[in-house]
Amino acid sequence: KMVPLEQLHLSHVLQAVSALESIVLRSFGPEGGQVLFTRDTGQVMVSRSGKRILTALHLDHPLARMVVRCVWKHSTITGDGSKTFVLLLASLLRIIHATATKDPHMFQPHNSTEASEAATARHLADRLLEFALTELDKLIVLNVLPHGFRVSLENFTAKTQHDLSCQTLLVSFFRTRLGYAYCDFFRNLFCELLSHWKVKDDRPSFSMQFLNNSFLALHTQVSGVPVSCSRLIEGQVIHRDFATPCPQVRKQPLKGDVLELRCGDKVTEDRGIVHFSSWTEKSVESIIATLQSFGVSVLLCALKQSSAVLAAATQAGMCLVECVSEEEISLFTQLSGVTPISDCRRIHPEHIATLTFCKPLLLGAHRRISSIVIYCTTFCLVICAPSEGQADQHACAFQDAFRMLLTALEPVRKTQTALEETIPSKKCTSLHADNKCVTETGCVISAGGTFEFLLHHALHQYGHSCSVSVNLLEKALLSVPRQIYSHNLKHFLQAQTRVVALIPKQPHALSANFIHTEGPLGDGKLLDLGLESVSCKYQLVLAVLQCLTNLLRINMVLRTHAVLHTESHDSLNAHSESSEGEDED
Amino acid sequence: MALNGDEEDFEWEPPTEAEMKVIQARRERQDKISKLMGDYLLKGFKMLGDCCEACGTILLQDRQQKNYCVSCQELDSDIDKDNPALNPQAALSQVRERQLAAQVPAAAPELNGGPTSSQAGVSVPQPRPEHCEGAAAGGRALLPPPVVASPPPTASTTTLAPIRPPVCPQNSTLRPVLEEAEEAVLTKLRWATAQLQSSASLEASIQLCSLISSCANSLRNLKELSQ
Repeated sequence: KMVPLEQLHLSHVLQAVSALESIVLRSFGPEGGQVLFTRDTGQVMVSRSGKRILTALHLDHPLARMVVRCVWKHSTITGDGSKTFVLLLASLLRIIHATATKDPHMFQPHNSTEASEAATARHLADRLLEFALTELDKLIVLNVLPHGFRVSLENFTAKTQHDLSCQTLLVSFFRTRLGYAYCDFFRNLFCELLSHWKVKDDRPSFSMQFLNNSFLALHTQVSGVPVSCSRLIEGQVIHRDFATPCPQVRKQPLKGDVLELRCGDKVTEDRGIVHFSSWTEKSVESIIATLQSFGVSVLLCALKQSSAVLAAATQAGMCLVECVSEEEISLFTQLSGVTPISDCRRIHPEHIATLTFCKPLLLGAHRRISSIVIYCTTFCLVICAPSEGQADQHACAFQDAFRMLLTALEPVRKTQTALEETIPSKKCTSLHADNKCVTETGCVISAGGTFEFLLHHALHQYGHSCSVSVNLLEKALLSVPRQIYSHNLKHFLQAQTRVVALIPKQPHALSANFIHTEGPLGDGKLLDLGLESVSCKYQLVLAVLQCLTNLLRINMVLRTHAVLHTESHDSLNAHSESSEGEDED
Repeated sequence: MALNGDEEDFEWEPPTEAEMKVIQARRERQDKISKLMGDYLLKGFKMLGDCCEACGTILLQDRQQKNYCVSCQELDSDIDKDNPALNPQAALSQVRERQLAAQVPAAAPELNGGPTSSQAGVSVPQPRPEHCEGAAAGGRALLPPPVVASPPPTASTTTLAPIRPPVCPQNSTLRPVLEEAEEAVLTKLRWATAQLQSSASLEASIQLCSLISSCANSLRNLKELSQ
């Protein structure tokens, strides 16, 4: 029954992607619902995140897995837009399929209909991608950016009317993920966290990148507590309890140390078991003595320690935390500037950090962890929720907010140079003089399909002399707002007319102030659905087109009986927040 | 399908209504398949890399390792017999249903078609005759030739008293029936003409004109049939 070699038809591709689309559509848009995941263990999780939903499906079909992997990679960078990705991909495929079947011999004749259809589809997709890589950013800059608002991190915590873009962007994002109830609360928490971390660095985006990378170590999830108890805690939270009894409060500055203690490594001569254990005991004692001489009171260990070590530490009055995760150790070393000890015989002052305090913490009903503060103040995030699944959902939304904001702050590439020629006098004060276009200024636009309407209009005007592939993109773009307003077609038409009315009649009627730094465009109704980032949308369109070309380039499917490489499998599973491995295959 | 198309220049004609219906039905079927597959995937089924041998749909596998084809096992068993795209009998029954639905309110315009009735009384929706004519045209296109004898006279019975043509007409019984039909149509035509001459309202006149034209059509068809 299983054919070793299989020709891939366009309809197969379309069917696989349509199935994914039908799943994603249920949660799409402001009216979309949530998906409830249950495990056989009874664990329950709720999510609206497209990435979560798609990676949780059992998929053996190679194309479907490929699409999900593209979605996952895209979401890791931009933090948002997974459902829109699948929607746009499916509508593009559908339109290409219709065009290819209607006129299979568009580009060159082939022998069989299916081969010609596939070739036509491939040509169309390639041309689309080529167009997108070269012309799309210019189109966006000229036609979409003038209707948006500037957003940058300088005005991040400002409370004035004009600088609300960044905050509104965050609120809209949290609203799409977490609902109306908690979006404002989490926006405040996010801004608070950023403002505490911002003081260290000159470049705010650097600190955001750092927060994004070390988010796992920086946050703690607590279940069984109401959401409003989520807060910032001073210090770095180590998610392990003390292994040795620790006196409650220590007022004087402590010294802490990070140890990668591997007692078994250093055996050079084989002297039998008795000698070995006495040798290790002696070495442990000497190590502890050395540490004591330095005044160390807290030890953080990456591995589990033997009872001998624990006993020695207790005797010396040191607090020991074992099995600290790698991310937390790396965060600690980054923040405090020490290096971990790898060889126990050589302990030097640069391995020892000064802490401000170290105390155990009880978060929620079940979590008993220790909290350590190092000399430069750090703040950790505690996310509370009634259930574990919900806490996970909130934590994911928080991390994705970092990614989304980082992408939003990037300018749409190559535009600055293009525009400097046309508009010499600019009011972009944050433009740095160095070559690396470090502007940290992005653009946001009102959500609800505005980007798609504007781009559709721009492509329509541009595409008269161009190939049929641009028309395909133009038609496919409208599917997104159509789904947003799927419950009421009248709203779709109203939104479209509202947006088109904003477009000036003359194509080059741009004011000198090409990006509005002021508030809403005068018509407050457009901002009801919040804001979204133009840069994120641009990245999304590019990613979709690249995924499309990859999909259509596949001719045949080869079946093997052995697993070739599990890299994709692992990366998909390893990044699900739960630590248990689910067997996907 | 002729594939030496590089020399010839195909003239592309827009698809006829029948083809449109088929395309539409096929698209709806694909949408249904996608939705069902999505439902099953969310229930925990696994999407396999294989396709069904019969219909080419992607196979799903449930927790008990049993393969399942959405279109073969769910869609086709229910709706195959009802799908006009796949079954001519279904198309015929669909046309019949539409005509039946059209005939029920047909009694009403006869009563309200008088010129003295007020505007509110002329509440028959305007497109009624055209709608039925369109359905009849579609029905004519979809039905295989042997059954084409029965639809044409029924298509124009929207404004007549319901006349049911025999399902399997025999020539001997056909003639008197046709004559009766012709007479009835002529009577209605005369009545409509008289009404039109004395009609004062625009709506009623338009309706009467369409009635007259459909009567004329019916007569033509009846004459064709009797030849």
